Amino acid sequence: MRWTIDLTSRERLQDQIVACVRRGVASGELPVGEQLPPAAELGTALSVDRNTVLAAYRQLRDDGVLEFRRGRGARVVSEAPALSSVTEAAQKLIATAREHGLGTNDLIRIIKELT
Amino acid sequence: MTSLPITDPSRHAVYTGRTTSWPMVATTCVAALFVVLMGKESNGAWGDLVFVVPLILVAIGILANILTASSVRATAGPNGFTIRWGLFGWPRCSYRLDEIDHAEVIDLPLWRVSYSLWWTPRRTNCTVRSGPTVRLSMRNGRIVTVTVPEPAAAVAALREASAAAPDADTV
Repeated sequence: MRWTIDLTSRERLQDQIVACVRRGVASGELPVGEQLPPAAELGTALSVDRNTVLAAYRQLRDDGVLEFRRGRGARVVSEAPALSSVTEAAQKLIATAREHGLGTNDLIRIIKELT
Repeated sequence: MTSLPITDPSRHAVYTGRTTSWPMVATTCVAALFVVLMGKESNGAWGDLVFVVPLILVAIGILANILTASSVRATAGPNGFTIRWGLFGWPRCSYRLDEIDHAEVIDLPLWRVSYSLWWTPRRTNCTVRSGPTVRLSMRNGRIVTVTVPEPAAAVAALREASAAAPDADTV
């Protein structure tokens, strides 16, 4: 599992970790039943506080993506969500951008500004 | 997951992977079966040292196996490469980024698999299966071979971290 975080981003570290897990689940890299690394280990690896990782795990548990079991850590419980709706929306966005004469870099810049 | 090169130094990528040591799990199951069979053979003679001592030794072996050798967890990134065994992450080996001279993916043949942690003065082997495996060549000459689920992603994370480090040398 690959975790990518931006320490200078305006987005909270907790949310970035949540996004990493969601991407992993969506891509199938984290199948149902897969155990996530302990919060302390992941925190050390990502150079973030253990409580930040725990907060991300709790958020994912509350969203039904993970479950906590005593002695077994955090495990993935939800199936990979369908990305087709996101792809469809992105295609519409690209089509609209083309109509307005915007290129790929313009689109990426707009998305970065919004996020 | 496809790894894209990260050019922004404020971003960093970390790879984590966990591999179950199925041979060790199988060994544990066989040992547990042995304990049960020995218990039945004793016919209630639990006070007899002939039965009790081997059973205790085997039970300790099973417990040690479960706690230390059932799985391998690896982490690769800006903090180097860390290997943790078993439920509690012990034993553990950590290699800082500046200690690693070169990282590569090798194809480990079946007869070179260690199935547990093997340490010699020149080598550290943490391999539980054959096939693509991470090999680290350390600056002090030590060779570290580790089984991870996605060796290419682990090596990519190390290389990205090395490239982003201000005093980076080649990994």
